[in-house]
Amino acid sequence: MADNETDIEGQPRIAPDAGAADDARPWGEQTRVVGNRRPRVDAWERVSGAAVFPSDLVLPGMLHAAVLGSPHANARVTAIDTSRAERMPGVYAVISRNTPEANPDWDYFSAHSGKLFYDHCRFEGDAVAAVAAQSPYQAHDALRAIQVEYEILPFVSDELEALKPGAPEVHSGGNRAGTQTYARGNIEQGFSEADLVLEQRYRTASEMHTPLEPHGCVARWDGDSLTVWESTQGVYAVQSKIADVLKLPLSRVRVIGHYVGGAFGSKLRTDKYAIIAALLARRVNRPVKLFMTREQTLLTQGNRPPATMTVKAGVKKDGTLTAIQFSGIGASGAYKAGGTSLLDWLAKDLYRCANVSTELTDVYINAQPARPFRAPGYVQCSWAMEQMMDALADGLGMDPVELRLRNIPAGTQARDDKPYTTDGLRLCIEQGARAFGWQEARAAAAQHSKGHLQRGVGMAAANWYAGDGGPPSTVIVRLYADGTANLNMGASDIGTGTKTVMAMVVAEEFGVDPDAVQIEHADTGTTQYATPSGGSKTVPTEAPAVRRACLAVKSQLLDMAAQQLGRPREEIVFDGDHLRTTDGLESLAIRELDRLRKQKVVVGVGQRQSNPQGVSITPFAAQFCEVEVNTLTGEVRLLRMLGSNESGRVINRLTWDGQLIGGITMGVGYATTERRVLDGPTGKLCNKNWHDYKLPTTLDVPAEVISEPIMLTDEQANIVGAKGLGEPVTIPTAGAIANAVAHALGMRLYDTPINPVTLIERVAAREA
Amino acid sequence: MLTPFAYVRPASLQDAVAALTEGNAHIHAGGTDLLGCLRDEVFGADRLVSLAALGDLAGLRETRDGGLDIGAMTTITDIAAHPLVQRRYPGLAQAAGEVASPQLRNQGTLGGNLCQKPRCWYYRGDFPCLRKGGHKCFAVNGENEYHCIFGGANCFIVHPSDIAPALVSLDAEIETAGPSGGRRLPVSQLHMPPEQDPTRETLLKPGEVIVKVHVPPAPAGLYSSYRKVRTRRSWDFAVAGCALALVMDGDRVRDCRVVLAAAAPIPWRSPETEQVLRGQTLDDAVIRKAAKAAVANARPMTKNAYKIPLFEGMLLEELRKAAQV
Ligand SMILES: Cc1cc2nc3c(=O)[nH]c(=O)nc-3n(C[C@H](O)[C@H](O)[C@H](O)COP(=O)(O)OP(=O)(O)OC[C@H]3O[C@@H](n4cnc5c(N)ncnc54)[C@H](O)[C@@H]3O)c2cc1C
Repeated sequence: MADNETDIEGQPRIAPDAGAADDARPWGEQTRVVGNRRPRVDAWERVSGAAVFPSDLVLPGMLHAAVLGSPHANARVTAIDTSRAERMPGVYAVISRNTPEANPDWDYFSAHSGKLFYDHCRFEGDAVAAVAAQSPYQAHDALRAIQVEYEILPFVSDELEALKPGAPEVHSGGNRAGTQTYARGNIEQGFSEADLVLEQRYRTASEMHTPLEPHGCVARWDGDSLTVWESTQGVYAVQSKIADVLKLPLSRVRVIGHYVGGAFGSKLRTDKYAIIAALLARRVNRPVKLFMTREQTLLTQGNRPPATMTVKAGVKKDGTLTAIQFSGIGASGAYKAGGTSLLDWLAKDLYRCANVSTELTDVYINAQPARPFRAPGYVQCSWAMEQMMDALADGLGMDPVELRLRNIPAGTQARDDKPYTTDGLRLCIEQGARAFGWQEARAAAAQHSKGHLQRGVGMAAANWYAGDGGPPSTVIVRLYADGTANLNMGASDIGTGTKTVMAMVVAEEFGVDPDAVQIEHADTGTTQYATPSGGSKTVPTEAPAVRRACLAVKSQLLDMAAQQLGRPREEIVFDGDHLRTTDGLESLAIRELDRLRKQKVVVGVGQRQSNPQGVSITPFAAQFCEVEVNTLTGEVRLLRMLGSNESGRVINRLTWDGQLIGGITMGVGYATTERRVLDGPTGKLCNKNWHDYKLPTTLDVPAEVISEPIMLTDEQANIVGAKGLGEPVTIPTAGAIANAVAHALGMRLYDTPINPVTLIERVAAREA
Repeated sequence: MLTPFAYVRPASLQDAVAALTEGNAHIHAGGTDLLGCLRDEVFGADRLVSLAALGDLAGLRETRDGGLDIGAMTTITDIAAHPLVQRRYPGLAQAAGEVASPQLRNQGTLGGNLCQKPRCWYYRGDFPCLRKGGHKCFAVNGENEYHCIFGGANCFIVHPSDIAPALVSLDAEIETAGPSGGRRLPVSQLHMPPEQDPTRETLLKPGEVIVKVHVPPAPAGLYSSYRKVRTRRSWDFAVAGCALALVMDGDRVRDCRVVLAAAAPIPWRSPETEQVLRGQTLDDAVIRKAAKAAVANARPMTKNAYKIPLFEGMLLEELRKAAQV
């Protein structure tokens, strides 16, 4: 997802594509392929193992690289001796700050620029040297033989400590990486109008990126052209960063990323590894493969920053919100990296409230830079805001669903009150509550509680500011003489089913099966520019461009049919894979078009048009959850969850439900198990593997997860009527769980995660 | 990354013992713990001695006295699924069934489970801790939420095994083979308290191999159970566990063993709890007293005081279950 709004809204507007039908109409209710449950077009490849992920790639003569990271939270490299490593068997090259020709400028997207191998390693794991060797084992043996002298420096790893006077400075000039404020209305007046005002502090732990496929790439030079196969969300983003750092023209850098084993925001950009692989490959004149170890992904490949949030909110007896004051502290890490990115958005945008003020403080600490992580900011803020909403409801003696329904805004208050194109928030809450059996479950919870096993029911709602998508995107569709098609797009399918959804769009237009669509994608050498797949914007960005490319083809087919049948164009319509006259007298299959048979192919180009002005295209969500808490042990069992989402048209119900289940699973981890642990005395990461950093398992996800889509099409949004889904599905999960636990216990936990370790003392103290 | 080592797979126990006596050799059973330690560079090995070819070491057999012999190479899955174990020693079956994940239970063995290395993140991480020959325990001033509340002394690990506490509760013994012959040893004496030697986990001598575990016959009225609390429901070590073996005489506790898991550097018998229970009727007052007694002498560290109410609550729940049978 993009870091800030301008990344999305500031896109250049693109002129209507040549040949595309400008009279593109929405599909309407009757679709043949779109809306079905369609298994992945690459399911066989994925399941059989035939799919070649970048980490699977083996090229002739390929060497293996490994990176030596600083073992200290903050240290200066005073000397490096690589001579022993260089002489080891199988070792081809060692690079470090001692090889200035292989040590370009590097910046972590911040003002504090440095070198690739920098003297000052401000976080554990930052690169000190790298090796290329015949085998991965030899590469790691060589790392062990590199002698590094460090001057260990004072560090700070807690964002609140970092703000205290006298705290060690990550960069000279203080640890404040940035502040941001927002206000509307009159906050004091808002509080004075309230019948109930509550204030509470919340904290969310840092959640670490650890996708199944680690971060990395294979780099190969052909003369002075570089090809990189990378596990990435966006091949073009990788291309521009590599070109920038290595001072290469874009035309000399080709990036390919056909499969990605998970990303979640951590692969929107590339990292030092791609530069290191390219530099080593050039030095040894062979392909070089460099993938991070699991420990290195956890140490260096990003996280959802920790957040300390204070919410003060006022509400009238009738449930009207009168004031919301939000302050949030987040930690970018050692370099500025969006530590408070979007952190206050739900506070200022989700519920109707005239008087809002927010204040954000981003902090430097000696830990790896943060990265976007599935709904950055929103997931943290939801934890705080949705618990506050429930606390207000409790205080008023009002049902939490009812309180939310009384505060549904008509438009996006944080963006000039632009009206929403749908009433999605209300629909998600109402329809979700009904399908979940909210009132019954809420009322029966006490009755279902037995002794130390206490039932609770909770919910939370959400929106997401970036689910509209937008330009730029250019897609090419080729229709072959036999009626099958080739779809050429730059976007990556990061495992969400992008290829399948786009094949369904093409299949809908040409009356063929999605399997008849060949897909060429995520390759800067053969496709057109696309933004990284992230921000829940891939479907609403790419699908309209794909459809427009199809329409551009169909426009040409209409001309062909008109000529062949000797009828005016206006009298010919498409009917599946046929064209027929409106009087129903004549019909011909696409593949029977003479011109097509002769010219063999029709090419259509589609571009993503700008979004309509004056409205806000926003997806919405609500989740409902039932839990059982063991008050003797603090164990929390999730019994069932339901997620209702309004993201416009459901193009593929299977991938839709897949997103929901995945989003809930991730939220379950956030709420109950995941937490970065930095050692107090050393600042080093304690839980850098998968038994200490606890992702949820299938047993932790409730057996019953129900998907309740709001079936509508958002026809103002774009020509496919779809909005983003991938982030809205995970935003409300943790808050809903926290609210259910609070309902069960009659007592609230304000910090993530909630599990026996964090729960039992509180419960026991109360029982005593 | 693994560093180079030699790998041998002897065909006899004698050869295995011989192969273990030279250099820095380690037994390789299922490898689920050992290979992780080598890969994480917790310690090194010149030679791995596989027990895979020693067929006699795998399997469960009822003994003439009505007890059970479990070979050291028996997989954890086989223990959890064995009908005799489930019927006579449900606590052992439950403990085995709660270990790790299905894959790890299929591959991991009983011997390996008893001899596995601690999961302390300082020990497993790149901290030069006492257990690895360093000078201090990093947990003392560090992140010790998963560390011990009993028996810490100089090193504050918890023993990671779920099976060992169950075996201690059942008064099981191990039988070993070694360079100077074999011996029998109660499982309760297998593990090394850190104050004796913080660098070793067991009292096994160099080259000594666990051959089997003998579980004595279940006395009439035996009630056994194992309960494990963790932060996720699979593939996770205990944050607290308890093995109960109560010998009931009607609703009176004739004899008992209560062994705590994830409480101490070794499986931790709770004489305080046992004393409260022994000879008493399992009514709620006794149960409350017994659960409290379990943690009365606990010495929490800076971040693990939660284990006190947790162990107490878990014992309350488990003893109440026992009382209902
Ligand atoms: C992710 C993960 C989660 C886990 N969760 C749990 C859990 O929840 N509960 C739990 O109890 N365990 C857990 N374990 C530990 C697991 O049960 C052990 O790894 C397994 O039982 C070891 O058996 P193995 O045969 O693979 O041993 P190996 O890895 O082969 O050996 C382990 C150690 O025991 C020694 N050894 C092996 N056999 C013998 C023998 N016969 N005589 C003497 N020494 C011997 C080896 O030299 C080595 O030091 C977990 C492990 C992992 C990796």
